[in-house]
Amino acid sequence: MARPKTTLLQGTLDLIVLQMLQAEPTNGYDLTIRIQAVSKDVLNVNAGSLYPALYRLEEQGLIRAEWASTAKGRRAKIYSLTAAGRRQLNTERETWARFSGALAAILRTS
Amino acid sequence: MRIIDRFMGWSRSIFRRDEVEREMNDEMTTHLERAKERLMARGMSEADARVQARREFGNVGVLQEDARDARGLRLVPELLDDVRYSLRALAHAPAFTIAAALVLGLGIGASTAVFSAVDAVLLARLPYPHDEQLVRVFEQNSPTNRWTLSVVDYQAIERYGRSFSSVGALRGNTVGVSAGRDAERLPMGYVTAGFFDALDVTLRAGRRLSRADEDPGAPAVVVAGYEYAVRQFGSPTAALDQIVTIDGEAHRVVGVLGASDARLAGRAADLWPVMRRTIPTRRGPNGLFVIARIKPGISIAAARRELDAISVRIFPDWQAGFQDKIARLTPYSLRDVIIGNADRPLALFSAAVALVLLIAVSNVASLSVVRCLRRWREIALRSVLGASRGRLVRLIITESIVLATIGGAAGIAVGWVGLELLQKYAVGIARLDTAHLDARALIVALVVSVVAGCAIGIVPAMRLFAGDRGDGLRDGSRAIGDGKSTDRIRSAFVAAEFALALPVLAAGALLLVSVMHLQNVDPGFDPRGVSTMTIGLPSSAYRDNASIAGFWTGLAAEATRLPAVKAAAFGTAMPPNDFGNNNNNFDLVDSPVPPGGAQPSVSWAAVTADFFSTLNIPLLDGRLFTATDTGGARPVVVATKAWAKRYYANRSPIGRELISGGCTACPHTVIVGVVGDVTFDGLGMPREALFSPLTEGWPAQLYLFVKATAPQSIVARGVRDAVRSANPIAAMGPMATMDDAIYNSVAAPRNWATILVAFAAAALVMAAVGIFGLLSYAVALRRREIGVRMALGAPSGRVVASMVGGGMRFAIVGAIIGLGLTVMSSRWLRGSLYGVSAIDPPLLLAVTAGLLVVALIASWLPARRAARIDPVEAMRPE
Repeated sequence: MARPKTTLLQGTLDLIVLQMLQAEPTNGYDLTIRIQAVSKDVLNVNAGSLYPALYRLEEQGLIRAEWASTAKGRRAKIYSLTAAGRRQLNTERETWARFSGALAAILRTS
Repeated sequence: MRIIDRFMGWSRSIFRRDEVEREMNDEMTTHLERAKERLMARGMSEADARVQARREFGNVGVLQEDARDARGLRLVPELLDDVRYSLRALAHAPAFTIAAALVLGLGIGASTAVFSAVDAVLLARLPYPHDEQLVRVFEQNSPTNRWTLSVVDYQAIERYGRSFSSVGALRGNTVGVSAGRDAERLPMGYVTAGFFDALDVTLRAGRRLSRADEDPGAPAVVVAGYEYAVRQFGSPTAALDQIVTIDGEAHRVVGVLGASDARLAGRAADLWPVMRRTIPTRRGPNGLFVIARIKPGISIAAARRELDAISVRIFPDWQAGFQDKIARLTPYSLRDVIIGNADRPLALFSAAVALVLLIAVSNVASLSVVRCLRRWREIALRSVLGASRGRLVRLIITESIVLATIGGAAGIAVGWVGLELLQKYAVGIARLDTAHLDARALIVALVVSVVAGCAIGIVPAMRLFAGDRGDGLRDGSRAIGDGKSTDRIRSAFVAAEFALALPVLAAGALLLVSVMHLQNVDPGFDPRGVSTMTIGLPSSAYRDNASIAGFWTGLAAEATRLPAVKAAAFGTAMPPNDFGNNNNNFDLVDSPVPPGGAQPSVSWAAVTADFFSTLNIPLLDGRLFTATDTGGARPVVVATKAWAKRYYANRSPIGRELISGGCTACPHTVIVGVVGDVTFDGLGMPREALFSPLTEGWPAQLYLFVKATAPQSIVARGVRDAVRSANPIAAMGPMATMDDAIYNSVAAPRNWATILVAFAAAALVMAAVGIFGLLSYAVALRRREIGVRMALGAPSGRVVASMVGGGMRFAIVGAIIGLGLTVMSSRWLRGSLYGVSAIDPPLLLAVTAGLLVVALIASWLPARRAARIDPVEAMRPE
């Protein structure tokens, strides 16, 4: 709790979700935990923005959802990437790399 | 793929809404559970953990809304809510709902009925493959004068025609038929093999006719209609090889048509016996209905040129009996022939219906504005409480569409009744009997309902954007719809409604009066106590003229001996309308038509001498027929006074001669008498007719006329027994009185009058609702002003009068314009009227007065409400 939380940059949540799901299909709750863990607690993804993002991506056909039972016997919805999602991830990754590279270059000039 | 996936996802969202919602709930509950467990694992109490998990999660309700939005889900529940709300709101305003549904129902129903009629009559193709290749061949000497073909013509086309893949002929006749049981009279279509081939009809069972069946010596065969086959033998296959006695000759059934082929090429018949080939001895007689299929790639114009050449080629061979040198065999598209001139009345109907629909929509839109005005406070309140404009507009439009759908349902009922009405009364329009309200008609009704609903909703919805909604709370009545321009448009609509209703009403009334006049026209004969029926002899049983003559003369004697029968006679035609079945051309010997010209044609009946006394037609000059008038070297005729006057002016025609039927080789026919005027061409038509004596040649089928003092049923029984004892298989039609014949002869104009009056009634209802809506609106709008006036002492009668006057102004303006339209359109009616002028001042005055009385009542009902306004209540600040 001591570390400052960074708010998400506009449009990056989709990229994060796609990237995480490519690594491993998972459910919504584990996804929030994992994002926090991977970003070393810097990024705190609110459930209130995660679920709409998941539904939107599912609607766009980038991810698909399946009901499955977890180890504890709970019903959970497991999200995974579709082929279109994979393509989308690749393009967004490139866009992001170009953008952050450019941004870094700008910040170096001072 | 992606599009399909997305569509599937969306449709799943829509159609399995509950399931999707449940899944969403499940998922979020799971999330909360696990977050709570995690917090508890860190040592938090369960209650704290639940609160904390919730807090981290955010607002569940908002989240679900957002999630639904992401799925495009919110529209549906809201729409259902809107519909539910609309239904509730409409139920609270029954008067408005009923009036609107009635008006819309009339509009939508009329469109649906007329669409079905137009669809069946004008748009549908003929049920034969490549119907564009089918033609009917006429003989014609001018575009307006065309007639049927003769055997000579048919055989010439068959022999010389290169443009056609097949040619077929049909001769219609009603004859006695029996298949083991009692003989019945049924319509026959005697056809050649080419008739089925040209149409390329598919039989239900058995085979078509073949060329070999047409050979003079071949065994008689028949193709049965589906209905006859099932009625008589149980099934199409059971009918095959059965024997049917048609006109006394045994025919073997070789084929059975499909159930949908009750008509072929527009002609109805129960049985289709083979027409055998004959060797003609002269060009006539005509009466063949000839159709042909043009070979692919050949145009009708080319076929027409070829038929022209054939006409010229055969002319010299038969010139002795047929001298019309300019007559040509001419092909017409079969489809056009069958549709005939039905396109004009149907186009008229379509225009009328479009108008009715437009008026209906504008009326309901106007009512709808009034309703919104009354609900203005409610709408304003909703708006202030945060409903978005879009949401409010959607609410209004939804309500309009719900209303229009109710109207549409009513419209389907109206459409069903309307189509029945059309089919019953619009007689003479081919193929109308095949029209029915099918899925497409219902789709039309639905589309019209939804479009009408949007149109109705848009007017009040637009008002929403025009005014500041805050006004609604301050002043309950001023914010909506008091733009001068919309008022003017609405008033103009009401005036237009009256302007349009008047000509329709006037036309209906004129036609009705005309029909009444027609029915009262002196038919030239005395129908009292006279009954008539058709009797047909099996021609096979009476091969020679003497035996046929024996049958008829014997029957006449037998009939006169019946109790209460005063006179009996026979004739080939029945007055007052024989529908041109017995026309013949003639040429006066002392003033012949120039060579090549068309000879005059007239209704020409063969009758017994007793015909005139039975029907009480007076002899005016010369003599009636005698037993010695048996044709041979000296055929005779009796003319009506009108005929004599037309061709001989004031001179006596007695002893003058004429050439009958263009037969120059035959002996001349002598005019021996003149009788009182009687018509075979319809009441109100010129009463020109010629009569020949039946003793010159008895046909196998005749009308019997019996004058009796006893009730018709008793006479009918006696006559039937007499006919049966003379010949058990003679076929008899039903017996009718001559009064019935007169009544039925004006069926067509009466039917058109009925349809027009129905239209006029609809137009009147529209106009009445229009003015009602206009005044309701005005009263609602001027509530406060009226309250002030009444508080200042204006008597309520005066207030009502001023409101009514406001409404009547538009009705009167409309009526004046309507009178102008009536006068302008009067020429359309002129040809269809009898005994009344197309511009009949007293009638027009009466119709206009009736219209204004309706307007007065429709104005008074809402104006009365003005008088009930409580001044204190109306002026109280709100």
